[in-house]
Amino acid sequence: MKVRISLAAMALTALVAAGCGSSSSSSTSSASSSSGSSTQAAASGSSSKSCTTSIGIEAPITGQVAVLGDEQLAFAQLAVAADNKANGTNITLVQGDTQLMPAQATTVTQQFTSNSKMVAVVGPAGSQEVEAVGPLFGRAGMAFISGSATNPTLTTSGKNPTFFRVVSRDDVQGPEDARFVISHLHPKALMIVDDQEVYSTGLVASMIPVFKAAGIKVDHESVSQKVTDFSSLVAKVTPQTTVVVLPWQVAANGEQFGKDLQQEHKNATIVGTDGMQSSSFTIPGSYVSAFGPDITAIPSDATLVAAAKVKYPKFGTFGPPVYAATHVIDDAIASVCKSGQTPTRANVLAAIKATNEPTSVLGQPIKFDSKGDLINAKWFLFKINSTGKYVLVTNS
Amino acid sequence: MHFFIQELVNGLTQGSLYALIALGYSMVYGVLKLLNFAHGDLYMVGAFVGYFVIQWFGGSTALSIPVPLLLLFMFLAAGGGVGMLGVAIERFAYRPLRDAPRIAPLITALGVSFLLENTMLLLFGASYRDYNTSAFISFNTGIHIGPLNIDLVQLMVIGLSVLLMIGLTLLVARTKLGRQMRAVSADREAAEMLGIDVNYTIAATFFIGSALAGIAGVMDGLAYNNIYTLMGFIAGLKAFTAAVVGGIGSIPGAMLGGMLIGIAESMVTGYISSTYTNLIVFGILIVMMLVRPSGLLGKVPLQKV
Repeated sequence: MKVRISLAAMALTALVAAGCGSSSSSSTSSASSSSGSSTQAAASGSSSKSCTTSIGIEAPITGQVAVLGDEQLAFAQLAVAADNKANGTNITLVQGDTQLMPAQATTVTQQFTSNSKMVAVVGPAGSQEVEAVGPLFGRAGMAFISGSATNPTLTTSGKNPTFFRVVSRDDVQGPEDARFVISHLHPKALMIVDDQEVYSTGLVASMIPVFKAAGIKVDHESVSQKVTDFSSLVAKVTPQTTVVVLPWQVAANGEQFGKDLQQEHKNATIVGTDGMQSSSFTIPGSYVSAFGPDITAIPSDATLVAAAKVKYPKFGTFGPPVYAATHVIDDAIASVCKSGQTPTRANVLAAIKATNEPTSVLGQPIKFDSKGDLINAKWFLFKINSTGKYVLVTNS
Repeated sequence: MHFFIQELVNGLTQGSLYALIALGYSMVYGVLKLLNFAHGDLYMVGAFVGYFVIQWFGGSTALSIPVPLLLLFMFLAAGGGVGMLGVAIERFAYRPLRDAPRIAPLITALGVSFLLENTMLLLFGASYRDYNTSAFISFNTGIHIGPLNIDLVQLMVIGLSVLLMIGLTLLVARTKLGRQMRAVSADREAAEMLGIDVNYTIAATFFIGSALAGIAGVMDGLAYNNIYTLMGFIAGLKAFTAAVVGGIGSIPGAMLGGMLIGIAESMVTGYISSTYTNLIVFGILIVMMLVRPSGLLGKVPLQKV
């Protein structure tokens, strides 16, 4: 009996602990907030008392794409720490784990919007999540800036009035990718596979017309993000199909697709996007386009790169845009405080709209148009060399 | 023809895994009338056990033992370890509820599923882990005739699955334990009155079913490389469907259901489009269930009048 009771107690403890770890619970948030605020308060000195507020971050900290979310969280934390020090503010960062799922993102957003101390949010990561939470943020009058949501309709639909992004849109990146494939890889036939998420289907929709206009035979396929067996799909890659385009968010799936190609002795070149740029995807000869630059090649980012290598050594292109997004919010809060006001959702939103940064960690100015899109957003294309390293091929 | 054979082998590989997991669902349902929703997560645990065995012996690129020995250790560790985990789950989560209303153990099964997923998440994180099988079993092994490429791992998965299924069928049909399992499945109280140790029989059923799921997890890792803590959900769902289609409670039915779903998925992907795979496969299954509600090899229960 004793054994059974102690085992039941252990199981209950594990279940409670597990629940805390897998969601954006307030305990996780408060733990991260308190540790963050103590550091920040020390750094900011007496002025922190007059500019104290909190912001949130929505990212897939657990789940299938936790690799991306963890990177985004690390860069947001770096930005808050650096900006608090530079601006004399006392901004705390509250974590919200969305697992890249719209339903989970909705729950986190409801928690954030009901937190009266929170003035703005970084994220969420996925376009499908922004679609779900945009109206909630709009109703709360709270600004949110994504470092990775690229679907064009997010800013054109009018449903997300407080949404901003610091990355290029699919209708820039998608056609640019397609044109690169046509002009450099010269396929007569290609396969393009979406992963049934808004991000992926949006990019595919913007690429297919460009391919078809060039007279390329296109085999459009679709697999769930949760699938890890691509052997049946790879069997359809004919000798004429020399390119496979995978606008996917899960890099490990792209790696498996590449291994399935090797296993079935197919020579098609993989062209991936954004989420694929990760240490988990290293198929030599593949191309990956990304909305974020390789900041290790930007001299003015040397300090950030050094800090990031300590905090999140395997970073890719998902972290730096989040750093830039967080920095925009931090600067907006600082400007509100400098004008003698207390930060509120309304005045921070107005300050974000007026953002005009001549430089940023992304190697480009940050200024938003009236819909929340980044003006003159850049796009980057990398090739994976024989050692698995990403080498910049072109950018626009 | 090459293309057909390629897709058939791809489907059989995936179907073998569904079938092995479905067997556990079916066996447990047979003896306890319980839908063990934690079963898919046992498959996930098995995949992780296999992964850590690879790491234990130096990692995929620097193995310190021969590959056959590594595979043996992986299957033994995953089969034995997950089998014991299944027995522990039965002992502490399901046995106390054996005489409770049927909804109680069902909810408990869901709870155990979340417990396993989140415990693994806490222990090992959310990132994908890569078996990197091609580092120790080359893609050049196996059968390669023109455009037809059948990997050694695929052959191993299909072959081992068939052997395990034959072994299980013989165990149930020809051994004392098998007779006890069938007796408990037919009428637990009558079996107990006849002197059969019901607790032992049920524990043995859980061990065998869970061990098969653990072995299937290792085979998944070997065939598809990527493993992660939430991988059991979809696989469990497909395997559960396979068990129902084959006739829940029927061992040959579970095998048939698993193979059918695997092959159907592969053929629809190959000959129609991956976009419609789930739509068409599950559409066919719904029609099959409407025509034959007890499943392909399930028994129609006798109606007492």
